[in-house]
Amino acid sequence: METVNYNYAIVRSFITWSIIWGVVTVLVGVLISFQLVLPELNFAPYLTYGRLRPIHTNAGIFGWGIGSFFALFYYMVQRLCRTSLWSDGLAKFQLWFFNATIITAAVTLLLGYTTSKEYHELEWPVDIMVVILWVAFAINIIMTIVKRREPQMYVSLWFMLASLVGVAILYLVNAAEVPVSLFKSYSAYAGTNDANVQWWFGHNAVAMVLTAPPLAVFYYFLPKATGAPIYSHRLSIVAFWSLIFMYLWTGAHHLLWTPVPDWVQTLAMAFSVMLIAPSWGSVFNGYLTMNGQWHQMRENYLVKFLILGITFYGLQTLQGPLQAVRSFSSFIHYTEWVPGHVHMGAMGWVSLVLFAAIYYLVPKIYGRELYSIPLANLHFWLVLVGQLIYSISLWVAGLQQAGMWHAMNNDGSLTYTFMEAFVEMYPYWWMRGVGGLIYLVGILVFIVNLIKTAQGGKPAPEAIQNA
Amino acid sequence: MDWASVLYLGFTFGLLVIFILIVWRTYQAKNKRRLEEPKHRMLDDD
Repeated sequence: METVNYNYAIVRSFITWSIIWGVVTVLVGVLISFQLVLPELNFAPYLTYGRLRPIHTNAGIFGWGIGSFFALFYYMVQRLCRTSLWSDGLAKFQLWFFNATIITAAVTLLLGYTTSKEYHELEWPVDIMVVILWVAFAINIIMTIVKRREPQMYVSLWFMLASLVGVAILYLVNAAEVPVSLFKSYSAYAGTNDANVQWWFGHNAVAMVLTAPPLAVFYYFLPKATGAPIYSHRLSIVAFWSLIFMYLWTGAHHLLWTPVPDWVQTLAMAFSVMLIAPSWGSVFNGYLTMNGQWHQMRENYLVKFLILGITFYGLQTLQGPLQAVRSFSSFIHYTEWVPGHVHMGAMGWVSLVLFAAIYYLVPKIYGRELYSIPLANLHFWLVLVGQLIYSISLWVAGLQQAGMWHAMNNDGSLTYTFMEAFVEMYPYWWMRGVGGLIYLVGILVFIVNLIKTAQGGKPAPEAIQNA
Repeated sequence: MDWASVLYLGFTFGLLVIFILIVWRTYQAKNKRRLEEPKHRMLDDD
């Protein structure tokens, strides 16, 4: 049998660094959540909420999220194509350039250099670094797919390709700007066009970074974890193409009730609701894969992470379209409901799937058994409880906040002042901080388990260096 | 309706037709075996 030299060193390195950035994002997240209730925790000018919040989001999306996807894409593409990477050297360059980019991003944000565009705060020199990084990654993955030895592509490869192309287009279009100094630029777009492009980018970053890649991971690791093939590969393909055709129209639902043209808002609202179909196509595919396998929810820690992950994806893709409807949006937009929604996606859907994939991979690429399954179960419950406390407390907070903002007296005046509604948020913000702390403890348990596995776990019966 | 609107409409309609063709091709009976085959490959050992 012909052997292939798979490059697992790069997978190991990206996993390590993504976890480091994951700890940074949760640590900063916990800190800024407590800064809201304990203002004395703000240390001006560098360690204030305003400067730390984009570090939290950027480290989460680019460091933990994309860093993990780098690792998992490099693993999956080699296995799915039954071939080695196109270029090991390019992958190694990408690893160190990735870390240099994240550090540069963190330092510039701390210093206050920002475009002020949410999720695209990085100024133009860092933008260029991001583009170089993504081009290196895309070339390596695409060229590996080109030289594949399996003609029929598994659906994970489609999701990976969509992510590579989608992120490139989104980032380049939204990064169009006019530099006026080394760390200051102005957007190439003006007024409502700027807002429209920004949220076309912003929401589709959710599609191409926080939906397509985790779905690629889910479709790969669910059959690996359960030992059962996915229910329908054809359903996954149709779900993929539906997602691709529908997602790119939805960004303007972030701009409901703004001066953006009414038809653009209506279009975004309609496509957001239609998006339920492809999203739930994947959810059903996951659930139906579990036919006859549900007992594994008790017995297999990987399945718990994956099925709870896809369940949060399902809930997220019902809640999201609901929020994109004008009437509901007018009630909850700008309230605490929204971070509750976002964190169900980040802490629930994306992170749970990533935890499962990393738990599956680390024992294999180190050739050792997982150090402790009870610790993995403890990790599962800590992050689940932490995330639920976080999201539920903010949904309740958002409803109360919206109710107080909208309450009117008989003469048409507001019943509550802004400050009265603000003060009512304090108990919920405390709960959010506690939820984040529990989640952080879960991540520490995860790290201890992985370190112990890498350092001294029992050698697995067989390592997987070749296939 | 100006030319720009006609082009937008044509482009949108073209996308819809492409999407329908993808779904139709995916669910054609003769393609079932070939398109479902990759899922069984996932059960090979890593």
